[in-house]
Amino acid sequence: MKLENFIILFIVIPMGTGVIGVFLKERVKIARVLGVMSFIATACLAIGLLINLRSHPTGILVSQMGAWPAPYGISVVFDSLSGLLLAASSLVALACYIHSFSTVEPVAEKRYFHPMVQLLMFGVNLAFLTGDLFNLFVSFEIMLMASYCLLTFGGTRLQMTQAYKYVLLNLVGSTLFVIGAGLVYGMTGTLNFADLALFVSERQAKGEALPPGFAALSISLLLVFGLKGAIFPLWFWLPDTYYTCNVSIAGLFAGMLTKVGIYAIARTFPMIFAVGDSDARMVVMPLLAVSAAFTMFLGVLGAVSHHNIRRILAVHVISQVGYMVFGLALMTGVALAGCLFYMIQHMVVKSCLFLCCGIIERHTGTDDLEKSGGMLKRDTYLGVIFFIAAMSLVGLPPLSGFFGKLVIIREGWESKWWLSIFGLLTGALTLLSMLKIWGYAFWSPAAKPIERTPQNMPNTSSLRPAYVGATMLVVVALFLGFGAQPVYDIAFRAGNQLVNPDEYITAVLGPHALDNLAKYRQEATRLAAVAGVEVMP
Amino acid sequence: MTIILSICVAVVFAVSLYLMTGRELKSIAMGVFLLGHAANLSIIAMSRTPVRHEPQLLKGAPILTSGFDAAHPMNSIVDPLPQALILTAIVIGFAVMAFLLSLLVLTSRKAGTLNLEQLGAVATQDD
Repeated sequence: MKLENFIILFIVIPMGTGVIGVFLKERVKIARVLGVMSFIATACLAIGLLINLRSHPTGILVSQMGAWPAPYGISVVFDSLSGLLLAASSLVALACYIHSFSTVEPVAEKRYFHPMVQLLMFGVNLAFLTGDLFNLFVSFEIMLMASYCLLTFGGTRLQMTQAYKYVLLNLVGSTLFVIGAGLVYGMTGTLNFADLALFVSERQAKGEALPPGFAALSISLLLVFGLKGAIFPLWFWLPDTYYTCNVSIAGLFAGMLTKVGIYAIARTFPMIFAVGDSDARMVVMPLLAVSAAFTMFLGVLGAVSHHNIRRILAVHVISQVGYMVFGLALMTGVALAGCLFYMIQHMVVKSCLFLCCGIIERHTGTDDLEKSGGMLKRDTYLGVIFFIAAMSLVGLPPLSGFFGKLVIIREGWESKWWLSIFGLLTGALTLLSMLKIWGYAFWSPAAKPIERTPQNMPNTSSLRPAYVGATMLVVVALFLGFGAQPVYDIAFRAGNQLVNPDEYITAVLGPHALDNLAKYRQEATRLAAVAGVEVMP
Repeated sequence: MTIILSICVAVVFAVSLYLMTGRELKSIAMGVFLLGHAANLSIIAMSRTPVRHEPQLLKGAPILTSGFDAAHPMNSIVDPLPQALILTAIVIGFAVMAFLLSLLVLTSRKAGTLNLEQLGAVATQDD
């Protein structure tokens, strides 16, 4: 059986499980088992395909839906970039899902909680795999729709007064996305990523200008993706959102939602909008650089100023997104690889911290740092998990965050040294804010003996799934730290393919897609040689 | 025709932006819905004869009989792809609209108001 045929399973498995889950409304046990199996299946599939791809010549698997040839039909593309993200997101989803068994209210669980988690992952997987811009929009919508439902699960008054912000904002963002996709089609006549990349490269090789307004279009798409990714001026929705919902779901959101926005930028900008010396690149690169600095620095300042564990973690998501944008702003193969590595390690570590926060809340009945304390004495194991995850987030050497930051900051040192300084400074402040949680919640003595009301009585047997979920993620984070080399091998391949999309184009559009482009390039080289000008290869 | 469509798009955009500046959630929601319609209209305005790839099925298979020029089929056929895009966007828009309206109903039940200032006050009461 060809490997290509497995790709569609990433989409079919969560969708099918979600649909079946609707009919298992009252049968919670069966729904749980089915959901866990679905995530294990996609995680195993992603890791298996990644291992197989190491010996593949290009490392890109393409499946054309209904066997329609590429620019006409729907292409589903599994390359190193999508593969790593799919593996990480499936593992994170599995852990958060298991964790949710001990935190979701039994009433809410019977109201279609399980199908919604599956449909969220259906949208996320589709976003990572799709090969064209409009399907990216559709997958965003699927993901957002599920996230709206999960956000309002339980329907408390606090949730209801906060949810509309997130929903309305994303609606406006989606509308801008539709307009952007329509404009891309109107200007270039295609929506397929590979075909768009070919269009831009051919124009540039011929020395023709891109359609007027192409730069403006790329900015508007950057706005849309930046809104999903919570980069600097567009992050205001995030802290309120992650504060109100169930903690397992907050962990899932912190892992998935912003990364999909960053992924969309990483997929489209190096390949299509910011190629060569186009106008768009001249505008987008400084924008991204400034945004990265502000996102990193303001995010971490916000985190230092807050006093609730959940809020600190939520605001931290923004600061960490800044490092990813830093990698994007450099837009070299190495920097993109660093960005990718940082994305997957952040998914794992940040979700893990949220899951730990969920357990702390169950123990102390609050996430306010002033009122909590003495956790280390009550639960040493949780302390160990939390410490490893927090230090990974900060980026202390043997742990995963270090390798992500190392590559990005070193790559940035030559061209954008001031951004690297911001990065290092942010790292120090991250350490400060993590030590704040550690000091208040774990090290300091308990503020007062905690009254054992039935509400906050720690029921450790019901917390077992929560520990399983958090432990899983810590194991993955440790693997990313000590096994960074094989992961980086894949990430470097992904970064290079984003910067030189020739392999991607050939894989999607067929072996003869580059013929014209090669002709134009030869012609340009010949003309330049005649004129006696040096040409960069 | 494009001029008329562009004017329509501009008017709908203007109305939706006006609605979105209101202080009532209902009017903001209506503004967002209208924004979706404006987006769909603008995609129609952008669609024309296929520019990069000719639709494969249409080669030699006339589906329009009146005014169909068999020698230059592409001159008499509008690009079908934007229509498909709009169709998808409309369906998604419907679903989101239904969700948002039911969310507003629940919000007004829980908070007792849909005015933005009062909602903010209700939210801080809970803290």
